[in-house]
Amino acid sequence: MLSEIFIQFFRYLVLLFVQVLVLDQIEISGPVNGYFNAYLYILFIFMLPVNINRLFLLFLSFITGLSIDMFTGTAGMHASACLVVGFVRPGFLNLLAPREGYESTLRLSMQGMGASTFLVYTSVMTLLHHFVLYLLEAFTFLNFFDLLLRVISSSIFTMLLIVFSQILTQRSRELDA
Amino acid sequence: MRNFFLIIRKYNVFIVFLLLQVFSIYLLVNNNSYQREAFVSTSNEVVGRIYVAYSEVSDYLKLGVTNRLLAEENARLRSGDSTSFYRMSILKTAVNDTVYKQQYEYITARVINNSVSKVNNYITLNAGSLKGIKPDMPVISSTGVVGVVKDVSPHFSTVMSVLNSNTRISAKFTKNNYFGSAMWLGGSPQLGVLNDIPSHAPVNKGDTVVTTSYSKYPAGIMVGMVYEVGQKGVSFKDLKIKFSTDFQNLSYVYVVRDLMKAERDSLEAKTVAADVK
Repeated sequence: MLSEIFIQFFRYLVLLFVQVLVLDQIEISGPVNGYFNAYLYILFIFMLPVNINRLFLLFLSFITGLSIDMFTGTAGMHASACLVVGFVRPGFLNLLAPREGYESTLRLSMQGMGASTFLVYTSVMTLLHHFVLYLLEAFTFLNFFDLLLRVISSSIFTMLLIVFSQILTQRSRELDA
Repeated sequence: MRNFFLIIRKYNVFIVFLLLQVFSIYLLVNNNSYQREAFVSTSNEVVGRIYVAYSEVSDYLKLGVTNRLLAEENARLRSGDSTSFYRMSILKTAVNDTVYKQQYEYITARVINNSVSKVNNYITLNAGSLKGIKPDMPVISSTGVVGVVKDVSPHFSTVMSVLNSNTRISAKFTKNNYFGSAMWLGGSPQLGVLNDIPSHAPVNKGDTVVTTSYSKYPAGIMVGMVYEVGQKGVSFKDLKIKFSTDFQNLSYVYVVRDLMKAERDSLEAKTVAADVK
């Protein structure tokens, strides 16, 4: 139990620093600027334990978003988008559940869920998060088609990074069993 | 009453979600007002220190370019220095200090965080109120305009970049005095537009655009060059400009302190107040 908390906290810190110090610093010059922003940190919310208390999940999502906000100076924007993800997550996981339900020891990773289920789970949640985020950011500024384009192109970038990070952190089969 | 508690218990997750969501939106909406300072000042010191550590590494990698820019600027300043002029006049003129009174002071600061990919981009500087920086002061670099100071903490300050949907800069051409407002419409961090230039104004591609003294900036600071000339409606030109500042490669900037700002502001306020009466 204690080691689980430690792992989650460690993942939170790593993702926060990767997000703020690496991904937020990426700048692509030219007209595609602003269309490829990756937000890998939401992986933390995706990978919280499957049987986590719903209220606790909401609070953790809120804190995750707020800590990113503090770095980017966008008070409340990420917090709001993360809250939506944290609120929808349990229901969406139930939709994807196998008939007998999830085992409480299941890891919400590509290895634990199986590649196809994991991809469906994370890509829908990523699209949702990015949509809320860009909607709050743009609000009056950009037109809607442009907004959708930004959501989709950024989601693709984020998903690539999520899959990549899953492959990097895969455990060998013996260890997992 | 009992039912009320039952409902709360049944929908507690949704209620907490709504409360937190309302709080987030509240933060977001108040992002532009004074309430933001509480949020910023608690986080700014910790966050600022992390960004300082980061920028020390990234600045090192940019040393080459920074050195070149500083050297170029040194050369330009040195060539403007009185020692580099040959005195053509035989007459000896008295140096009279009352002729020139200093109006602008420049405070150097290092950029420790910067973004160009958002709709509203902000820059964080490693100098704050202890160095005399106050909100609303303009920020320039050796190549041109950078932005305006938004919030200040003792050691850090945040700057609303030119690459921000809320930024407007009063700008004119160097070759004539037609003025308009320059702004950024998203997309490439190098391109912006110059609005309100009448269609009879003679404008060519490559014309230099500088600040006027109508806004917060000192007059004559480089904004950019005309990049594309078009026609918008009957009476206005549709001008695209290329910013002279490379926002993707900022490391040292100057915060401008206008020593006569208080005098000018109080005079202008007095005039407006008299008008209202």
